Amino acid sequence: MIRYVLPTLAVGILAGYLNNNFGFPQLNVVFSDYTYSLSLFILLFLMGVLFAADEKATAKMRQAKLKILVFPLAVALGSVIGGLVGGIILRINIFASMGVRAGYGWYTLAGPLVGQLFGLEWGALGFTVNLFRELITIASAPLTAKLDRYAPIAMGGATAMDTTLPIIVRYCGQDMLIIAFSSGFILTMAAPFTITAIAAINR
Amino acid sequence: MAGLLDVVMLVLPLVTGLAVGYYLRGKPFNVGKIFLGVVLMLIFSLGFSIGSNTELLAVMPNVAFNALVLLVLALLFSILSVKATQKLVKI
Repeated sequence: MIRYVLPTLAVGILAGYLNNNFGFPQLNVVFSDYTYSLSLFILLFLMGVLFAADEKATAKMRQAKLKILVFPLAVALGSVIGGLVGGIILRINIFASMGVRAGYGWYTLAGPLVGQLFGLEWGALGFTVNLFRELITIASAPLTAKLDRYAPIAMGGATAMDTTLPIIVRYCGQDMLIIAFSSGFILTMAAPFTITAIAAINR
Repeated sequence: MAGLLDVVMLVLPLVTGLAVGYYLRGKPFNVGKIFLGVVLMLIFSLGFSIGSNTELLAVMPNVAFNALVLLVLALLFSILSVKATQKLVKI
Protein backbone atom coordinates (compact mmCIF):
# COMPACT_ATOMS: atom_id res chain seq x y z
CA MET A 1 0.00 0.00 0.00
CA ILE A 2 2.79 2.40 0.94
CA ARG A 3 4.23 1.98 -2.58
CA TYR A 4 1.18 3.83 -3.87
CA VAL A 5 0.63 6.17 -0.94
CA LEU A 6 3.95 8.05 -1.01
CA PRO A 7 3.98 8.80 -4.77
CA THR A 8 0.33 9.87 -4.52
CA LEU A 9 1.21 12.24 -1.68
CA ALA A 10 4.08 13.72 -3.70
CA VAL A 11 1.89 14.13 -6.80
CA GLY A 12 -0.81 15.73 -4.62
CA ILE A 13 1.62 18.26 -3.13
CA LEU A 14 2.97 19.09 -6.59
CA ALA A 15 -0.52 19.37 -8.08
CA GLY A 16 -1.64 21.64 -5.25
CA TYR A 17 1.43 23.80 -5.63
CA LEU A 18 1.13 24.12 -9.41
CA ASN A 19 -2.60 24.71 -9.28
CA ASN A 20 -2.19 27.41 -6.67
CA ASN A 21 0.33 29.26 -8.81
CA PHE A 22 -0.89 28.65 -12.34
CA GLY A 23 -4.30 27.00 -12.17
CA PHE A 24 -7.76 27.53 -10.78
CA PRO A 25 -8.04 28.64 -7.13
CA GLN A 26 -11.55 27.14 -7.00
CA LEU A 27 -9.98 23.67 -7.19
CA ASN A 28 -8.38 24.23 -3.77
CA VAL A 29 -11.75 23.98 -2.08
CA VAL A 30 -12.71 20.93 -4.13
CA PHE A 31 -9.66 18.92 -3.10
CA SER A 32 -8.84 20.37 0.33
CA ASP A 33 -12.46 20.18 1.48
CA TYR A 34 -14.81 18.05 -0.60
CA THR A 35 -12.79 15.06 -1.79
CA TYR A 36 -10.85 15.09 1.50
CA SER A 37 -13.99 14.86 3.64
CA LEU A 38 -15.76 12.50 1.26
CA SER A 39 -12.89 10.00 1.13
CA LEU A 40 -12.52 10.22 4.91
CA PHE A 41 -16.20 9.35 5.46
CA ILE A 42 -16.06 6.42 3.02
CA LEU A 43 -12.87 5.12 4.65
CA LEU A 44 -14.24 5.31 8.19
CA PHE A 45 -17.33 3.44 6.98
CA LEU A 46 -15.24 0.74 5.24
CA MET A 47 -12.94 0.35 8.24
CA GLY A 48 -15.98 -0.08 10.47
CA VAL A 49 -17.32 -2.78 8.16
CA LEU A 50 -14.01 -4.66 8.01
CA PHE A 51 -13.54 -4.49 11.78
CA ALA A 52 -17.02 -5.63 12.78
CA ALA A 53 -16.97 -8.46 10.23
CA ASP A 54 -13.68 -9.74 11.64
CA GLU A 55 -14.56 -11.88 14.65
CA LYS A 56 -10.95 -12.26 15.80
CA ALA A 57 -10.43 -8.48 15.86
CA THR A 58 -13.59 -7.83 17.88
CA ALA A 59 -12.65 -10.56 20.37
CA LYS A 60 -9.22 -8.99 20.95
CA MET A 61 -10.88 -5.63 21.39
CA ARG A 62 -13.18 -6.99 24.08
CA GLN A 63 -10.12 -8.21 26.03
CA ALA A 64 -8.46 -4.78 26.00
CA LYS A 65 -11.54 -2.97 27.42
CA LEU A 66 -10.89 0.36 29.14
CA LYS A 67 -7.15 -0.11 29.08
CA ILE A 68 -7.15 1.59 25.68
CA LEU A 69 -7.92 4.88 27.40
CA VAL A 70 -4.48 5.11 29.04
CA PHE A 71 -2.94 4.96 25.59
CA PRO A 72 -3.55 8.54 24.44
CA LEU A 73 -2.41 9.79 27.86
CA ALA A 74 0.94 8.07 27.34
CA VAL A 75 1.21 9.57 23.85
CA ALA A 76 0.40 13.06 25.14
CA LEU A 77 2.90 12.78 28.00
CA GLY A 78 5.64 11.52 25.66
CA SER A 79 5.00 14.29 23.14
CA VAL A 80 5.20 17.06 25.73
CA ILE A 81 8.34 15.58 27.38
CA GLY A 82 9.87 15.39 23.89
CA GLY A 83 9.05 19.09 23.45
CA LEU A 84 10.65 19.92 26.81
CA VAL A 85 13.88 18.02 26.08
CA GLY A 86 13.98 19.45 22.55
CA GLY A 87 13.52 22.97 23.86
CA ILE A 88 16.41 22.51 26.30
CA ILE A 89 18.72 21.05 23.63
CA LEU A 90 17.88 23.75 21.07
CA ARG A 91 18.03 26.51 23.72
CA ILE A 92 14.64 27.89 22.77
CA ASN A 93 11.65 28.81 24.96
CA ILE A 94 10.76 25.46 26.53
CA PHE A 95 7.10 26.40 27.01
CA ALA A 96 6.75 27.28 23.37
CA SER A 97 8.47 24.06 22.30
CA MET A 98 6.15 22.04 24.56
CA GLY A 99 3.15 23.97 23.23
CA VAL A 100 4.22 23.23 19.68
CA ARG A 101 4.35 19.50 20.44
CA ALA A 102 1.01 19.55 22.23
CA GLY A 103 -0.64 19.80 18.82
CA TYR A 104 -0.12 16.00 18.59
CA GLY A 105 0.06 16.17 14.79
CA TRP A 106 -3.00 18.35 14.23
CA TYR A 107 -1.16 21.01 12.25
CA THR A 108 -4.16 23.06 11.11
CA LEU A 109 -4.91 23.70 14.78
CA ALA A 110 -1.40 23.91 16.22
CA GLY A 111 -0.13 26.43 13.64
CA PRO A 112 -2.70 29.18 14.21
CA LEU A 113 -3.23 28.53 17.94
CA VAL A 114 0.46 28.45 18.89
CA GLY A 115 0.99 31.51 16.67
CA GLN A 116 -1.71 33.37 18.55
CA LEU A 117 -0.50 32.38 22.03
CA PHE A 118 3.29 32.46 21.63
CA GLY A 119 3.89 34.67 18.58
CA LEU A 120 3.94 34.20 14.83
CA GLU A 121 7.38 32.57 14.51
CA TRP A 122 6.22 29.83 16.89
CA GLY A 123 3.11 29.37 14.78
CA ALA A 124 5.34 28.52 11.83
CA LEU A 125 7.14 25.94 13.94
CA GLY A 126 3.80 24.56 15.17
CA PHE A 127 2.62 24.15 11.60
CA THR A 128 5.78 22.44 10.37
CA VAL A 129 6.47 20.16 13.31
CA ASN A 130 2.93 18.77 13.33
CA LEU A 131 2.77 18.37 9.56
CA PHE A 132 6.06 16.44 9.61
CA ARG A 133 4.63 14.22 12.33
CA GLU A 134 1.74 13.24 10.07
CA LEU A 135 3.92 12.72 6.99
CA ILE A 136 6.58 10.68 8.81
CA THR A 137 3.93 8.50 10.46
CA ILE A 138 2.53 7.65 7.02
CA ALA A 139 5.93 7.07 5.44
CA SER A 140 7.40 4.95 8.24
CA ALA A 141 4.34 2.91 9.29
CA PRO A 142 5.38 -0.32 7.47
CA LEU A 143 8.71 -0.22 9.31
CA THR A 144 7.64 0.98 12.76
CA ALA A 145 4.69 -1.43 12.85
CA LYS A 146 7.18 -4.28 12.60
CA LEU A 147 9.23 -2.95 15.52
CA ASP A 148 6.19 -2.41 17.74
CA ARG A 149 2.54 -2.83 16.83
CA TYR A 150 1.58 0.23 18.86
CA ALA A 151 4.33 2.54 17.57
CA PRO A 152 2.44 3.94 14.53
CA ILE A 153 -0.53 4.81 16.77
CA ALA A 154 1.79 6.68 19.15
CA MET A 155 3.45 8.46 16.25
CA GLY A 156 0.15 9.33 14.58
CA GLY A 157 -1.07 11.21 17.66
CA ALA A 158 -4.27 13.10 16.89
CA THR A 159 -4.17 12.07 13.22
CA ALA A 160 -4.73 8.41 14.20
CA MET A 161 -8.48 9.10 13.95
CA ASP A 162 -8.39 10.30 10.33
CA THR A 163 -5.53 10.62 7.83
CA THR A 164 -3.15 8.04 9.28
CA LEU A 165 -5.88 5.60 10.41
CA PRO A 166 -6.12 3.58 7.15
CA ILE A 167 -2.36 3.13 7.08
CA ILE A 168 -2.23 2.16 10.77
CA VAL A 169 -4.99 -0.43 10.29
CA ARG A 170 -3.28 -1.83 7.20
CA TYR A 171 0.11 -2.34 8.86
CA CYS A 172 -0.79 -2.89 12.55
CA GLY A 173 -3.82 -5.11 12.06
CA GLN A 174 -7.59 -4.90 11.98
CA ASP A 175 -7.94 -5.20 15.76
CA MET A 176 -6.12 -1.86 16.21
CA LEU A 177 -8.97 0.14 14.63
CA ILE A 178 -10.79 1.15 17.81
CA ILE A 179 -7.58 1.69 19.82
CA ALA A 180 -6.14 3.94 17.10
CA PHE A 181 -9.40 5.82 16.51
CA SER A 182 -10.09 6.44 20.20
CA SER A 183 -6.48 7.48 20.82
CA GLY A 184 -6.64 9.96 17.92
CA PHE A 185 -10.07 11.15 19.08
CA ILE A 186 -8.97 11.84 22.66
CA LEU A 187 -5.77 13.57 21.53
CA THR A 188 -7.76 15.70 19.08
CA MET A 189 -10.02 16.79 21.93
CA ALA A 190 -7.04 17.37 24.23
CA ALA A 191 -4.83 19.35 21.83
CA PRO A 192 -6.48 22.80 22.15
CA PHE A 193 -6.65 22.47 25.96
CA THR A 194 -3.04 21.36 26.43
CA ILE A 195 -1.68 24.09 24.14
CA THR A 196 -3.67 26.76 25.99
CA ALA A 197 -2.70 25.33 29.40
CA ILE A 198 1.02 25.36 28.57
CA ALA A 199 0.67 28.94 27.28
CA ALA A 200 -1.00 29.90 30.58
CA ILE A 201 1.93 28.54 32.64
CA ASN A 202 4.31 30.51 30.39
CA ARG A 203 2.79 33.84 31.44
CA MET B 1 -11.88 20.02 12.07
CA ALA B 2 -12.91 20.92 15.61
CA GLY B 3 -16.50 21.39 16.68
CA LEU B 4 -19.18 18.97 17.74
CA LEU B 5 -20.63 18.61 14.24
CA ASP B 6 -17.28 17.52 12.78
CA VAL B 7 -16.84 14.92 15.50
CA VAL B 8 -20.32 13.53 14.76
CA MET B 9 -19.43 13.49 11.06
CA LEU B 10 -16.44 11.24 11.80
CA VAL B 11 -18.08 8.96 14.35
CA LEU B 12 -21.29 8.47 12.36
CA PRO B 13 -19.77 6.71 9.30
CA LEU B 14 -17.62 4.56 11.59
CA VAL B 15 -20.60 3.42 13.67
CA THR B 16 -22.70 2.79 10.53
CA GLY B 17 -19.82 0.73 9.15
CA LEU B 18 -19.61 -1.29 12.36
CA ALA B 19 -23.34 -2.09 12.15
CA VAL B 20 -23.10 -3.10 8.47
CA GLY B 21 -19.99 -5.20 9.15
CA TYR B 22 -21.75 -7.03 11.96
CA TYR B 23 -24.51 -8.07 9.54
CA LEU B 24 -21.94 -9.16 6.95
CA ARG B 25 -20.26 -11.56 9.40
CA GLY B 26 -19.54 -14.90 7.78
CA LYS B 27 -20.56 -13.68 4.33
CA PRO B 28 -17.76 -13.28 1.79
CA PHE B 29 -17.06 -9.76 0.58
CA ASN B 30 -13.98 -7.97 -0.73
CA VAL B 31 -13.42 -4.23 -0.49
CA GLY B 32 -9.61 -4.26 -0.82
CA LYS B 33 -9.52 -2.46 -4.19
CA ILE B 34 -12.09 0.20 -3.21
CA PHE B 35 -10.24 0.70 0.08
CA LEU B 36 -6.92 1.39 -1.64
CA GLY B 37 -8.62 3.68 -4.16
CA VAL B 38 -10.24 5.78 -1.46
CA VAL B 39 -7.04 5.89 0.62
CA LEU B 40 -5.21 7.28 -2.42
CA MET B 41 -7.99 9.83 -2.94
CA LEU B 42 -7.58 10.95 0.69
CA ILE B 43 -3.79 11.11 0.47
CA PHE B 44 -3.96 13.04 -2.81
CA SER B 45 -6.33 15.57 -1.22
CA LEU B 46 -4.04 15.86 1.79
CA GLY B 47 -1.08 16.52 -0.50
CA PHE B 48 -3.11 19.01 -2.51
CA SER B 49 -4.07 21.01 0.56
CA ILE B 50 -0.44 21.07 1.73
CA GLY B 51 0.86 22.05 -1.72
CA SER B 52 -1.65 24.85 -2.12
CA ASN B 53 -1.02 26.24 1.38
CA THR B 54 1.38 29.07 0.44
CA GLU B 55 1.57 30.31 4.02
CA LEU B 56 2.81 26.93 5.21
CA LEU B 57 5.28 26.44 2.36
CA ALA B 58 6.74 29.94 2.87
CA VAL B 59 7.57 29.50 6.57
CA MET B 60 8.77 25.89 6.37
CA PRO B 61 12.44 26.40 5.36
CA ASN B 62 13.03 28.84 8.27
CA VAL B 63 11.94 26.43 10.96
CA ALA B 64 12.73 23.06 9.36
CA PHE B 65 15.77 22.27 11.53
CA ASN B 66 14.11 23.02 14.88
CA ALA B 67 11.02 21.19 13.66
CA LEU B 68 12.98 18.04 12.84
CA VAL B 69 14.78 17.96 16.20
CA LEU B 70 11.54 18.47 18.14
CA LEU B 71 9.79 15.89 15.99
CA VAL B 72 12.36 13.15 16.47
CA LEU B 73 12.41 13.70 20.25
CA ALA B 74 8.63 13.80 20.58
CA LEU B 75 8.21 10.62 18.54
CA LEU B 76 10.90 8.89 20.56
CA PHE B 77 9.33 9.85 23.89
CA SER B 78 5.82 9.02 22.69
CA ILE B 79 6.87 5.53 21.70
CA LEU B 80 8.87 5.01 24.91
CA SER B 81 6.02 6.18 27.10
CA VAL B 82 3.56 3.95 25.23
CA LYS B 83 5.93 1.00 25.69
CA ALA B 84 6.16 1.72 29.42
CA THR B 85 2.37 1.97 29.65
CA GLN B 86 1.98 -1.35 27.85
CA LYS B 87 4.14 -2.97 30.51
CA LEU B 88 2.24 -1.22 33.32
CA VAL B 89 -1.31 -2.10 32.27
CA LYS B 90 -0.37 -5.24 30.31
CA ILE B 91 -2.17 -4.65 27.01
